[in-house]
Amino acid sequence: MNGPARSPLAYVPRKGPLQSAGPLAASAYLGGFLLAGLFAPEPLIALAAAAGAAIAGIGAGVGRAVRFSLGLGFGIAVVLTLVNAVASDRGATVLARLGEWPGLGQVQVTAEAVAAGAMTGLRAVAVMVVAGVWSAAVDPDRILARMHRVAGRSALTATLVSRFLPLAAADRVRLKDAAGLRGPAASPVTRAAMARRLLEGSLDRSVEVAATLELRGYSLEAGPSEPLRTPSRYDRRFTVLGLVLLGAVLVALLFGDGSLVAYPRVDWEVGPPTLAAAIALLVAGFATWPGGRRARARVR
Amino acid sequence: MPAFARTGASSAPLVVEELTYSYSRSDSPALEGVSLELSPGEFVLLAGGSGSGKTTLLRAACGLVPHFHGGAIGGTVLVSGRSAADGGPGEMAELVGFVAQDPESQVVSTTVRSELDLPLRFRGQAAADRARAVEEVSLALGIPHLLDRQVATLSGGELQRVALAAALVTRPELLLLDEPTSQLDPVSGDELIGLLRRLNEEWGVSILLSEHRLERCLPSADRVVVLDQGSVAFDGSPAGFQEFAIATDPSLATPAARVFSRVGATQLPVGVREARSELAALGEVTESAPAGSATPPPGNGRALRCEGLWVELDDGVEVVEALRAVDLSIDPGETVALMGRNGAGKSTLLKAAAGLLDPVAGRIEARGGVALLTQDPSDYLVRDSVREELPGSDGEAALAAVGFDGDPGSHPRDLSGGQRQRVALAIALAGRMGAEALPDLVALDEPTRGMDRGLKDRLADLARELARRGAAVVIATHDVEFAATFADRVVLLGQGEVIADGPATEVLSGGWYFTTEVARIFGIDGVIGVDQGASLLGEMLGGERSG
Repeated sequence: MNGPARSPLAYVPRKGPLQSAGPLAASAYLGGFLLAGLFAPEPLIALAAAAGAAIAGIGAGVGRAVRFSLGLGFGIAVVLTLVNAVASDRGATVLARLGEWPGLGQVQVTAEAVAAGAMTGLRAVAVMVVAGVWSAAVDPDRILARMHRVAGRSALTATLVSRFLPLAAADRVRLKDAAGLRGPAASPVTRAAMARRLLEGSLDRSVEVAATLELRGYSLEAGPSEPLRTPSRYDRRFTVLGLVLLGAVLVALLFGDGSLVAYPRVDWEVGPPTLAAAIALLVAGFATWPGGRRARARVR
Repeated sequence: MPAFARTGASSAPLVVEELTYSYSRSDSPALEGVSLELSPGEFVLLAGGSGSGKTTLLRAACGLVPHFHGGAIGGTVLVSGRSAADGGPGEMAELVGFVAQDPESQVVSTTVRSELDLPLRFRGQAAADRARAVEEVSLALGIPHLLDRQVATLSGGELQRVALAAALVTRPELLLLDEPTSQLDPVSGDELIGLLRRLNEEWGVSILLSEHRLERCLPSADRVVVLDQGSVAFDGSPAGFQEFAIATDPSLATPAARVFSRVGATQLPVGVREARSELAALGEVTESAPAGSATPPPGNGRALRCEGLWVELDDGVEVVEALRAVDLSIDPGETVALMGRNGAGKSTLLKAAAGLLDPVAGRIEARGGVALLTQDPSDYLVRDSVREELPGSDGEAALAAVGFDGDPGSHPRDLSGGQRQRVALAIALAGRMGAEALPDLVALDEPTRGMDRGLKDRLADLARELARRGAAVVIATHDVEFAATFADRVVLLGQGEVIADGPATEVLSGGWYFTTEVARIFGIDGVIGVDQGASLLGEMLGGERSG
């Protein structure tokens, strides 16, 4: 297979409920998973938040982003777990004694330190999956259009960056191809020369874009403006679900049987409020899946 | 006021008086004493060779010169009575729409809808008015289906339409276009010119259009202005332009005019329709066997051989079958034009030949080596001087072989488009110019963008010289007239498949789009070039006289 690899986190327009929803509704919905993952009092909710967000991503057709985020999240989780296992000397259940380490002194690995690190890692997995789905399924243009109301110039800058980063990547591929096509007697292309040429190309393009913006009326400075209204029948669904998820997490936090207590010994109990919140997170993930009521043409 | 209502034009959309301009680092003026006036609703074609000042004049008309490019300006440029030099592009943005050559750098948003919305948002228009304006302009340009597409997924033709729509969404009185079809295939180019004509006729937008491929747009123009070395050399009707061009610089004239001028006609046709009418008045076109139309013998594919070649491209969103079951053999010494719509697979085939892309099935071989010049020659120019790019005697030999006539000490960015092309080709060929080392396949991808006919003729000479020395020269091009000039054989791709492969005289006649102007006039298989057309017309006139 050939061709420049597009980032798995890049937004791709699709005809799904999540992509059709407005950016605020979609963000509220995914924000529910994010808060659940970030402030999960114990592992089941963090796991359910990650799983729910993954289900939502798969339903929205951004499985590639989910896989990429999961890989990244698990990598971070492993690092966090290892670091905490080595750096923390708390915990009563010693799994291994690793002797004297320079700068750390006596190092021992406890089951409690591993559990605490894994819990932080699990939160990271949940956050990464939510961020991946948000990046791949929520239209950045519509987000920026919202931003125009409060910070027009910053929004335009962000739009330009998201437009021209892929072009710069394509420039790099082209220059690399051209460097490989030079005859044997032509000067070889050094990395510095390539980088400079890439920069020159980007600057040239920036000048052309600046000219285009001027001609489009950039300097007229009309001030903030309302974004174009793009109605969606899914806005209510995702807004409500976002609020429901937020409520479920609050209930689990306030009325749950407790949280994961790592030290001095791992103590983890799962009660009905926690289970209910976890089930709510999993079920909410299916809201992005296509299906449900559809308009049917009637033959008269 | 509704967003889509036009303000009444109280004066000429463009008045230029004694305009003189020099870029800041240039010794000679880019424009000198230019005067012209556009009437409301007029469609004016701006012609002239490369470097004649066309782009500079368009920049001056929208205020980019001198506000954006610096330099010294004299004279007056008035757009609907307002001075472009005083107001600058910001003020002119209310009156002028501008579309440049490269659509990539004119589209600044990530989706089409937001691109069309942006100019209106800059003007502070209400969301409801903007929504209507975006809808209407997209309908007018036939792109409503693109509104929610990401611009990164659009073809060149679609991008150019989006750029045009963004320039028109505020309903300017004057539209300036700088070679907007140079990167488009014949189909998209013809569609764009037709669209401009419709906008001009139905909306009354005044148009100043700069172009090199005049045969495409001359019939649509009300008037032609020719620039030569920064000054107006001609300003008159399209028919008058043809006479002027034949008398002063025949490379500017369209093929139709050149055919009729060869037989001494005084009334030169402006387009195919007029030429066919004149032919009809002479009687029925008689067919005669065109010279040089023999089918080349099947080769052994020593320069390039493809067998059942499939190449897929994956951009991370979808996998596209760029080449599908391509069978092709090209021999050393052949000159081949590779044609097809944007996205037909031309560049992919050349890149696969050079080993930049791998087939997913089938095979491709270029055993005698490949020198490939990709679309943008600037990609090859990474050093501070031509001499640094091509050092030593091998470098000098390569520059001499491609006919480089500039100063080897100059910075590549200071070279003209044609000179850059030659230096880039020399870089690709450096160290391969000996009789033994010359690659069997020299491939050029879209090398004629932005070139005038004179430069194209020189490139055609270079292609023939390389072929004479034993290389197969394959040039991917959208320019039908250029293909007819240099190629013995044409391979036409469609959706990744070879849909026609044969002598240029066969492939470039008898179709609708991939057909030369001469072929469309005569409608005889095998008659594609000016020489053939003139010969045939001469025979017809001789018959008429003797009859």
